[in-house]
Formats: sequence, structure tokens, C-alpha cells
Amino acid sequence: MNRNYLHISEINEYIKSIIDSDPFLNKVFLCGEISNFKNHTRGHLYFTLKDDESRISAVMFESSARNLGFIPEDGMNVLVEGRISCYKATGSYQIYVEKMELDGIGKLFIEYEKLKKKLEKEGLFKAENKKIIPKYPSKIGVITAPTGAAVKDIMSTIKRRYPICEVILFPALVQGNDAKEDIVRQLKRADEYGFDTIILGRGGGSIEDLWAFNEEIVARAIYEAKTPIISGVGHETDFTIADFVADLRAPTPTGAAEMAVPTIMDVTTLIDNFVIRANKNIKNMVNQKFILLERFKRSYILKNPLSMYEIKEQKLDLLIDNLNKTTRNLISNIENKYNMITSSYVLKNPLSLIENKTVKFDLLVKSIKLLNPLGVLEKGYSIVTSNEKTIKDIKNIKKGSVIDVRLHKGSLKAEVMEVNK
Amino acid sequence: MKEKTFESALEKLELIVKELEAGDVDLDNAIKKYTEAMSLAKFCSDKLKIATDKINKIITDSGEIKEFKTEE
Repeated sequence: MNRNYLHISEINEYIKSIIDSDPFLNKVFLCGEISNFKNHTRGHLYFTLKDDESRISAVMFESSARNLGFIPEDGMNVLVEGRISCYKATGSYQIYVEKMELDGIGKLFIEYEKLKKKLEKEGLFKAENKKIIPKYPSKIGVITAPTGAAVKDIMSTIKRRYPICEVILFPALVQGNDAKEDIVRQLKRADEYGFDTIILGRGGGSIEDLWAFNEEIVARAIYEAKTPIISGVGHETDFTIADFVADLRAPTPTGAAEMAVPTIMDVTTLIDNFVIRANKNIKNMVNQKFILLERFKRSYILKNPLSMYEIKEQKLDLLIDNLNKTTRNLISNIENKYNMITSSYVLKNPLSLIENKTVKFDLLVKSIKLLNPLGVLEKGYSIVTSNEKTIKDIKNIKKGSVIDVRLHKGSLKAEVMEVNK
Repeated sequence: MKEKTFESALEKLELIVKELEAGDVDLDNAIKKYTEAMSLAKFCSDKLKIATDKINKIITDSGEIKEFKTEE
């Protein structure tokens, strides 16, 4: 028997070539659960994919793994796309994963997060874009399924609290593939109806059940609506994208109805309160005016109208007194002036005026006398003349000249005996 | 003039009461405002009483509005 022994590497090579040449194994789509997950430092991912009965090794190289939208973990259900090949060194076949995404809930969760981030960035959740919910609506549109607890809760709550409000239901599919389009259609219809508020509701359910409220077209329809929208989807713990975009988020459908309308009792109390306040105020105001009026009425003048004259009389007296006093003052002033004038020295002694003048005259005469050139002769001086001219020097005077000398009493003619220079 | 709505009437009522409470209105005006407040309060109260028990309605795809009863 001719036995041809092969090396291990040869057989593994052979098997690998068989597998690689199979067109089906070149592109396979698998679903399974991740286990034994290992994230290699160089970025390659190594794990096992399994279902209830079987398992397969998997590797995802860094070049593919870098585009992964999530961090894989043991226990995650995933959908993968890749090729099957053999690893020569261990002789084991494995799947080389090129694409991987979360299956089911996990996938929905990622989508939810992605859409939430996107819409938030666009500003669809911004508080400043939220419309104000009218406090006292008269017409409300409800978008929800026509059967089930949600519609019953919403309608009975509104009826109980605020029965005067008109409610119109826009029946919509709230579950399944067509739900999102149906919700958008009814939202747009209701928005044209001029409601004060629209309630968008759905009862509790799984994340898949509520999924229509996480759809982008629903979110955008809510954002674009002109009517204020209250969302009440699922239970208190469920936060859908619709809740974030809505103008007001209620924890449940019943909660949405409670937020949409006040209770008749509250409004009645409010109105009564206004009436009480208005009454109290007007009463206070009238009272105040009344008190003021009473005070005026009780005033001395109004009670004793004659006193008005008394005051005037008094004032008149005062004025007359003043007048008299002023007149008297004037007269006495003039009298004083007159007295001062009449009692003046000059008028009393008119002669003094003449006396004065006489004294002055005498004085003048004396001074004139003093100034008389002849006056000096009295004192013994003489005036010497020659030919009627007063001689002041010896010029023209010679020995033998005849000169006239005038004395105080009498005069004499003399001959010059000697002339001295 | 636009039809007076319950909400606008209630808002007006609140405004008037606040004006009265502010106290800077003369008596003539205050009485005028008070009278208006009373008629607004009556209007609102009447609205609350008259329209009790509106029927729940449903709109069909063709736009028809019918009475709607939730199954018990």
C-alpha cells in the first residue's frame, strides 16, 4: 500500500483553498450571540458567535472594527457579515467579520441614541422652540389608537376634569410598520383643525411597540406642527424621541390629559377668587372715599359756616388796624420832618444870618485894609517917587535929583545928596 | 370684534383685578372696571356651566365627525 503522508501545513493549506474557493462561504450573513469577547490592544476583535447549539470563532480586524457603532460585549445579539476561512496555524475555520450591527433591541437602542443626538443638534428639543400649552382649551385633538386603554384614559380624564372641552379623536395606528406614516398623517390633519392643544398618546409596551414614536418623520411632524402638542407615550420610564420634541411631555396618556386641561373646580375657584378680590378692593376703595368725605363733613368750617365770617372779620380788623397804624406812622413822619424844619436855628434866629455876614464883612474889610499899599506907611515906611513914578532902584537917580517922599501923614520934597551903588 | 373666548375673558378678569389691587385708578374708573370684572366673571362662570358634558367625537378618514364611545 502506497501511503502518501502529508505535512499538517499542507492539509491545512488544502482545506483553506477548498473553503476559499466556495462562493457561498465568501460572503455569509450570520446572527448570534457574542461570547469570549477579547479586544486586542492593536484594535482587532476576537470573539465567539454562538446560538443555543453551536458556536464559531470570529475575528474582526481593526480596519473593519473602527467603523463599529457600538462597543461589543458578551451576551449581545449581533448581525454579522463576513467570509469564512481557515486559519492555517491552528487548523480552525472562523468567520472574518467585515460588518457587525446589533440585532433587535440593541439595534433599536443604537438608532434611538443616534437620532436623538442628531435632532438635539438640530435644535428640535430646545426649550425656546416649545409652544405654550393653553391653560383653558376649548378644543383638543387626540391622536392615538381608537381602541385600548390610552384613548379611554385620555377621554375619561378630560371629561372628568373639564367636561366643557370638546375632544376629537384622530384614530391612528400606533404599532407596526405603518404606524409612523399613520401618526404623521393624522398629526398633519389635526394640525389644520385649529385645536388649542393636540395630545399624542399611546399606552405602555416594549421598546419595539413604542418604536413609531422614535421615528424621525414623527419627530419632524411634531416639530413642524403649529398646534401645541403634549406627548404621553408608554409609562413614566419611557422616554421616546416624540417626548423630547413635543411641547410638553407627560409621563402617561392620563398624565397628558391632566396637563392639557384644568379642572372645573380649579377654574371656578379661580374665578370666585377674582370676584372676592374685586369686591374687597372696590369696597375698600369706596370705604376710603367715604371716610374722607366724613372727615370733610366733620370739619369745623362745614360744621360752623359762620366761623368762616369770623375768620374774615378778624382778618378785616387786622387789616384796618394795619391801615391805621400805617397812616399814623406816615403822619407822624411828616410831622417830625415839619417840626425839624420849623425848629431849625436859622428859622428861629433869622438875624443870625445877618450877624454872620457882618462879622464876615468886618473880617474882609480888615484884610482889605491890610492889603492897602498905603497901610504900610502907618508902620513908618515911606514911598519915594520921581516924576510920579515909584523909585525902586538908583537908575535915573543922580546927585541933586529932586524926589517926592510920601509919609503916613503928609509928604515932602527932597534933593538927593549922594547915590551909592 | 373677535368672539370673546373663555381664556381671553379669564385673562382680562385677572388683569382688571390686579389693576384694582394696584390702587392707582380713580373711583369712577374703578367702578367701571369693577363692573366689567363682574360681567367677565359671570361670562366665565356661565361658560363653565352651560357647556357641560361635551360628547367625545371621532373623525373618520373622509373627514366625517361622529360620536365616539370608548368600550367599557
